Amino acid sequence: MSPELAAAGIALVAVMMYAMFGGADFGGGIWSLLASGPRKEEQRLALEKAIGPVWETNHVWLILLVVTLFVVFPAAYAVIFEALYVPLFIALLGIVARGAAFAFRHYGDRESRLARQSLQWFSWASVLTPFTFGLVIGAVTTGHIEVEGTRVLSGAFAGWLRPFALVCGVIGLLICAFLAAAYMVARTEGELREDFRKRAIAASLALGAATTVAIPVAAWDADAFASHLNDARVVAAMGATALLGLAGLWALWTRRYRLAPPLAAATVAGVVGAWGLAQEPYLLANALTYEAAAAERITVVSFLVALPIGALILVPSLWLLYWTFSRDTLRGEEIAH
Amino acid sequence: MEFDTLLSARALMGLSLVFHTFFTPLGIGLPLLLFVAEGMALWKKDDRYRQLARAWTPVVGLLFAVGAVSGTVLSFELGLLWPRFMEYAGGIIGMPFSLEGFAFFTEAIFLAIYIYGWNRMSAFAHWLVTIPIAVSSAISAVFVISANAWMNTPEGFRVVDGQVVDVDPWDAMFNAAWLHEAIHGTLASYVVTGFSVAAVYAWLLWRKKPAVNAKLGLQLAMAVAAVSIPLQIIAGDFAAKRVAELQPVKFAAMEGQYETQRGAPLRIGGIPMNGETKYAIEIPKMLSWLGYGDLNAEVKGLNDVPPEDRPNELLVHLSFQVMVGAGFALLFIAGWYWVAWWRRRREAGSWLPGRALSLALIASGFLSFAALQAGWFVTEFGRQPWVVYGYLRTSEGVTERDGILVFFILFTLLYVVISIALIVALLKWPHGPRHPERLPGAAGKEAEGVA
Repeated sequence: MSPELAAAGIALVAVMMYAMFGGADFGGGIWSLLASGPRKEEQRLALEKAIGPVWETNHVWLILLVVTLFVVFPAAYAVIFEALYVPLFIALLGIVARGAAFAFRHYGDRESRLARQSLQWFSWASVLTPFTFGLVIGAVTTGHIEVEGTRVLSGAFAGWLRPFALVCGVIGLLICAFLAAAYMVARTEGELREDFRKRAIAASLALGAATTVAIPVAAWDADAFASHLNDARVVAAMGATALLGLAGLWALWTRRYRLAPPLAAATVAGVVGAWGLAQEPYLLANALTYEAAAAERITVVSFLVALPIGALILVPSLWLLYWTFSRDTLRGEEIAH
Repeated sequence: MEFDTLLSARALMGLSLVFHTFFTPLGIGLPLLLFVAEGMALWKKDDRYRQLARAWTPVVGLLFAVGAVSGTVLSFELGLLWPRFMEYAGGIIGMPFSLEGFAFFTEAIFLAIYIYGWNRMSAFAHWLVTIPIAVSSAISAVFVISANAWMNTPEGFRVVDGQVVDVDPWDAMFNAAWLHEAIHGTLASYVVTGFSVAAVYAWLLWRKKPAVNAKLGLQLAMAVAAVSIPLQIIAGDFAAKRVAELQPVKFAAMEGQYETQRGAPLRIGGIPMNGETKYAIEIPKMLSWLGYGDLNAEVKGLNDVPPEDRPNELLVHLSFQVMVGAGFALLFIAGWYWVAWWRRRREAGSWLPGRALSLALIASGFLSFAALQAGWFVTEFGRQPWVVYGYLRTSEGVTERDGILVFFILFTLLYVVISIALIVALLKWPHGPRHPERLPGAAGKEAEGVA
């Protein structure tokens, strides 16, 4: 395996981690927006408590992805960001609005007008951002962005408003909604838990439908991606993902609460992994391979050396964080840590 | 002035950097204050220090959160606005960026453990948690500043036929400017934190607002301020000497020096325009001495380089004057505070800063931010017209896309909204939260200890 391929694998893992952790975080906002029924406020409060200690950490995976791109694949970083600047700017506005709004609500005076308005900003931005990231993932996959060398030839709206990109946007939203609800099932109890269980089941069925629909849409709109779909590895990955998804649904259905979150996370990792395999060897479909986009070998190798050293500090710290804060049962009372 | 793509991109990048650098110094400095406060609580067995740290915790959480998202903006905008620059430089200066990523990740993790760990760990363990926060935040500043230093003194690569070759990421990281920029830039965070926290407490005490252990808070903040400001001025002198050597054109712009001259005078104030620095107080030969340690050393003038290779000397000179002026004003205020305290130390328990000193302390919060921002203006405007000094012009690094102005306007609006919300939230803070026991990390009883 070449160092460039290893680095591309790391970028893919960063996308997976961001989907599994950041995704659940966005999902918290989505379910805050869709909170309903007699336990509306309890749902929101439990979600907020779950997100509180981990939301910044959840979003550092995005930074890791961006950094990996621009250190190891500077040409791809430049081309993708230049080509898709409109959706990426929109996602960025969403990230800023969402993070700031969450902080104002969480750390500020809870009865203030500021806290109420922050909830609105937070919820809507939680929908806007993952949808737009989905569009971007779709756009780098469709092969409709034209590039000559590292010059972008196609227009500002190329690629990301295509049918396949829109399906990816919806998949992005459903991933977030599914994960958040499935994770909450293990963290709550009683009727609140039932609320989240129902939501998780609905989201998992919708995610299954959307990923299935994506395949014929790809055949019609994303040739580059579709042509890889008969690759044995991709088929195997998709099959495994489907099985994981069914297992997750079964765990939710039969109320195996401890089993649902890891199965949900594995399903989402499978979706991202299958997408990554079908993208190979491209970072930007039909335009830029990971080998063409890579920096000089010495940079790639230095990055690969720095990574495990960093992980030596990071992994135990992360473990400590999740170990400390993921064991409590969350209730829908006012914040009282 | 037409808002073309280059100007829009520079405006948006500048806006994002200025907004971000309101939060970063506090994200680096406040953890140090937490470390000191919780350490003092253990050492002196005085719980008032711990109450201070607890009172700051939600503010730290809020400021860190906004700082983190505004930092994400920068990591995106490097690609969104400067794709040609990143294509050129990404593989060379990526190393400090990726290491910064790890340091920042560590800071985020331990800060979360700190904020939510108030009731879950012993006072000693909680104090220990402040160490990785303070260390990793300082390290992440050093890494990011090293990338900025590389833009000023690019090293660790060669250009053959327009292609970057022979990259040495470690040489690039430890370039000629990294040391002085890292020291000066990181110390600035402690200066800003010390004086701005002191300003808040001075205001609360002067207006007789309720706040947790305000006098102790003022004392602690001024201790950090008084230690860091003289060090910062020494570091600034070192930085100026390095700039004189490494980037003489930037140095000439900072000092309003048009003609190459032996025994050049130091100009205090003044307006450099149209080839002449007017209305400055000139101290003979001092510039030669400050820049090169020799009263008769030659100082290169702006006229030695063609106009298209010069920065905007007016902006750079004025920013430099603001930074230096504010720096010395801060030194004076810190001295004033401690002399006043020393004179009345026997009644230290009841002593409060008088009206004039209170106003000066409040002003010091604003002055410290002015100095920090002006300092970055000097570095950044002084590097123009280059994005990679001597290699790549800013105009060559910019995106070819249209409509950047639209995003500049949208981000301006968003940042205005966030700033207003932040001011509303922070102004309410000292009056005491209505339900302190409900705050993240608050335990009912201790939080009630509002003086």
